[in-house]
Amino acid sequence: MMAFAAWLHATAFSQMIQAVRWIIPLLQSIHIVMIGIVFVSSVVIALHVLGRVRAEESFQAVWGRFAPWSRTALVVMLVTGLLLVVGEPAREFSALSFWLKMGLVAIGASGTAAFGRRYGAAKAVGAARFPASARLAAVGLIVLWGAVVLLGRAIAYDVEMWGAGVLPWN
Amino acid sequence: MELMSLLQDLQASAPAEWMRTSVKAMPLVEGTHVLAAATVFGTILIVDLRLLGLRDVRRAFTRVSDEMLRLTWGAFGLAVVTGALMFAANAGTYYGNTAFRLKMLALLAAGLNMAIFQHRTLRGVAAWDVNATPPRAARVAGLLSILFWLSVIFLARWIGFTKGYDFAVPDDAEINFQF
Repeated sequence: MMAFAAWLHATAFSQMIQAVRWIIPLLQSIHIVMIGIVFVSSVVIALHVLGRVRAEESFQAVWGRFAPWSRTALVVMLVTGLLLVVGEPAREFSALSFWLKMGLVAIGASGTAAFGRRYGAAKAVGAARFPASARLAAVGLIVLWGAVVLLGRAIAYDVEMWGAGVLPWN
Repeated sequence: MELMSLLQDLQASAPAEWMRTSVKAMPLVEGTHVLAAATVFGTILIVDLRLLGLRDVRRAFTRVSDEMLRLTWGAFGLAVVTGALMFAANAGTYYGNTAFRLKMLALLAAGLNMAIFQHRTLRGVAAWDVNATPPRAARVAGLLSILFWLSVIFLARWIGFTKGYDFAVPDDAEINFQF
C-alpha cells in the first residue's frame, strides 16, 4: 500500500498538486463546502421524516428538492477527495481515519440512495407517515455523515486518535 | 501592550492548556468546528438560494428562513465555542496570522450583511414574502452571504497552511513512507 503511495507521490500530477501552494487548501475548502451540502441535505430530509420541517410538503417534494444537491455535492466531494489523495497519498493511506471515513461514505451514500428508493415517491402529507424504522434510519444517516466530517479532520491527527501502527501496512 | 498580555493570559488558561496537552482534544474540537461550520454554510445556503429566487420559490421566505436559521444559530454557537478553544490554545500565533485576520474580517462582513438585511430589507418582508423573486436588496444580500461564507471557509483552511510552519517538501528531500 505504501509502495503504491510512494509511486503515486512521484507522479507528475501529484507533484503538480504538491508544488502549487494554494491547490490543497482550495481543494480542502471545496471538499468542506460539499460535505456541508451533503450533511445539511441529510439533516433536512431526516427532520422532515421526524415531522420537524417542511411538514406541509410530501416526502417526494422534499426528496426532489434535496437529493439532487446531495448527489451532485457528493460527486464533487469524491472528485476533490480523489485529487487530495493524489496530492498526499501517504498521508491518506497511512491513516485509519481515512479508511473508516471511506467505509462510512460508502454506507452513507448507499443508505441515502436506498432511503430514496423506498420512500422517494411518497406523496402523502401529514404527521406519522413514517414507521419507527424509517425515523431511526433517518437519524442514523445524520450521525453517519457527521462522523464522516469528524473522521475527515482526524486524518491530520491519526496517531493521536488511534495510536501508531494500527494499519498492517504502516 | 495590553492586548498582548491578554493573549498571553488566554494562552496560559486551563482550557488552552487542555487543548495543547490532551492528545485527542485538538482533533475532536477541530472536527466539531468543521462540522459546525459546514452546517452553518449548508443551512444559510438554503436561505440564500430562496433569497435569490432560485429554490423553494413556492414556499414563503420567512417559512424557509425560520426553519433553517434555528439550525444555523445552533451550529454557529458551537463553531464559536470550538473556535475560541482553538484560538486560546495558540492565541499569539493566531493573532499574528494574516489568514486568521482576514477570516475574522470575512466573518464581520457576513455579520454586517445579515444585520443590514435584518434591519432594513426584512422590515418590508410582508410585501414580498411569498413572491418567487424577492426585491433586489434581498437578492444582493443572498449573493453576498454566499460569497462571504465561502471566503470564511477558504480563509479558515488557509490558516492551517500559514500558521508558522510550511508543509512544502523540498525537492531533494527523501520521504520516508515507513515513518
